[in-house]
Formats: sequence, C-alpha cells, structure tokens
Amino acid sequence: MKPKKVLVVDDSKLLHKIFDLMLRNCTVVHAGDGVDGLEKLAKAENADVDLILLDMNMPRMNGLQFLAQIKADKAKAAIPVIVITTEGKEADAERGIKAGASAYLRKPFKNEELLAVIEGLSA
Amino acid sequence: MTAQKLTPEVSGEALNQLQSLLDKARELATELKEKMPPGKTPGRDGSGMAELQERLADLESDRKQLSINLAEHEQQTSRLMNLYVATYQLHATLDPAEVQSTVAEIAVNLLGAERFALLFWTGDETECEVTLGQGLQDDPAGLFSGGKYVGGDSMIDATLADGVLRIGPVAGSTALAAVPLTVQGTTVGALAILKLFDHKPSLRPEDRELLDLLAAHAASALFAARVYSATDRKLKTLENLVNLLRKG
Repeated sequence: MKPKKVLVVDDSKLLHKIFDLMLRNCTVVHAGDGVDGLEKLAKAENADVDLILLDMNMPRMNGLQFLAQIKADKAKAAIPVIVITTEGKEADAERGIKAGASAYLRKPFKNEELLAVIEGLSA
Repeated sequence: MTAQKLTPEVSGEALNQLQSLLDKARELATELKEKMPPGKTPGRDGSGMAELQERLADLESDRKQLSINLAEHEQQTSRLMNLYVATYQLHATLDPAEVQSTVAEIAVNLLGAERFALLFWTGDETECEVTLGQGLQDDPAGLFSGGKYVGGDSMIDATLADGVLRIGPVAGSTALAAVPLTVQGTTVGALAILKLFDHKPSLRPEDRELLDLLAAHAASALFAARVYSATDRKLKTLENLVNLLRKG
C-alpha cells in the first residue's frame, strides 16, 4: 500500500513534525486530537484521505472514541487506521485492533518500522 | 519421431540447415569473443563460464553490500531526523510550558520513557523542584514526592553536582540515565530517566545522541523562554503603567 494522503491525529507537535518528514512522499493532514481529526475528515478536500495514523492518548477525544466514530460512518469506515500506542502494555493496541484499527505501532518507533507497518497493510 | 527417407532433396535441405546453424554459431562465437575481456576466450575447458560465474558472484556480493549500506543509511537518516526535529521543537517556542512539554514529548516519543522527572535547582540549591514528571507516583524509591527532590539517588545527585551525563546502571541508583541541564556552564537541573516502556528493554546506543542533545539544548531553550516570558510580563506591566499615566 502506498498512501497518498495521510491524516495524522496526535496531540504531539513533535510527532507531527516527524511524520511530515517520514511521509514526505505523501500529503499529510494534521489534527491535534480526535475532535479536530473528525473535523478535518469532514472537509471535502480531505475526502481522499487513504490512511489514518491515530494516537490513543489524546485530550478531548481519545483514539478509541475517534475510531468508534470513524467505523460508524460508512463513508469512512474502510479507511485503514494505524493506532500509535504510548503505553508499554499491549492493552491499548489490542483495544485499538478490536475497535477496528488495521495495525498498531508502539512508541518509540523508527522510520523503517512505520513504513513496514504501512507495507504490511497491503499484504 | 518418424524416420525420413534420405533423398537428395532431403539431404540438400539438411546440409543447408547445418550450414545455417554453423554460420549462427560462428556469429555467436564472434559476439562472445568481443564481449570477453582482452586475453580471455571462452573455451571448452569452461574458463569463460567460470569467469562469468565469478563476475556474477561479485555482482551478488556488491548487491548485498549495497543493501547493508542502504539499511545503515536509512537508520542514520532516521536518527538525524529525530535529532533535527527534537532541536527544532525545543527552540520553536518562547513559552516555558511548551518547552517543558517538548522535553516530555522527546522523553516519551523518542526515548520511550515511561517514568521520568525534570528537576531544577531551587534558589538555595538545597533541593530540586520537579517541574515536570510522568509516572512518578509509581516510583518505588519515592524520591520525588511532593514535587521536590532532595537527593538520594547516587547517579542523579552526581549529575546535579558535576553536570556530567550518566547512563546506568550505577550503584546506588535506580535511574537509567541522568541528563544534566546546563546553561552557560552552570548546571541548573537534570532530567532523570527512571523507567522505559516494557517493550523497550534498555536505552540504545542512538539514544545517547538524543540525551546529549537534551543536555545541550533543553536548559538553554527553557532558560531563554523563561527570560523572554519574564521580560514580556514586565514590558506589559510598564506599558499598562504608561497608559494609566497618560490617561491621568
């Protein structure tokens, strides 16, 4: 899978900057939390988002709440979501997968790990 | 396969085909000879084939080496990218709270720290204030309770005293790393990394670069932000005072 437009939903400015560099061949849309992410997705110009990178721990609306909203929306339910977990425990990642995420990534992660997970989505 | 009767017509055609095959073989031999390095000729002893196989093995070896180099290059790019972004974010704001938040983001997102404390000496340098921390309520040593650190961990104490970056294990310390925060040669505090996420068993060699970067940039970024914040506050107070005087 080679995504063209990626929505990054994360409250870390540092990670947004890193994703910008890691995904320099894609258009990256930035959202600071789940509420912001839903607003960005609702915009017509973002109808072609083909991958979502989602942090699990965020203020206002966390990753699981965002996932529930996405999966309930028929138009967006098919967009693959990679959840990014901060916790050392697997629980967060498992909850994300159960809620409909396609894959997960644990912080801290390397460039090649992100690309491998994205590649794995097409396998 | 059915046997064909050897008539003059059939034998003539076979001879023609044989002649044509011989011509093609001659052309191929000439072509092969041209492609061979000077002094080498493909022979029945297989020396040409052996050379080709040798060259193929060389190419395969080169390909493997290039693949290793590419992987190393990608890792280095990833490391440099993290260092660049960390530096960029530390100096991207003049808001002290945001600088502290960036230090926390570096600790969590790039180092994988589950438990850490950002310590700054108080005025009389008898204790440190915990200006930022995560997971400290679960610290088994309980050295950071009440938002203060009065000493007790040998590695953190040594770093606070001499401003040298230390990475554990160190006797008398449960910390994994103690990063000095230094401004113009004076150690003003330290970042103590106390525990990593369970999936990251230890600090990696490349983490040392990030710790060095934090030691070099975190304190100065925070110091600059605090100075700016204080100056800005004073400036606004003065402006309000001037406005009041003008109105009066």
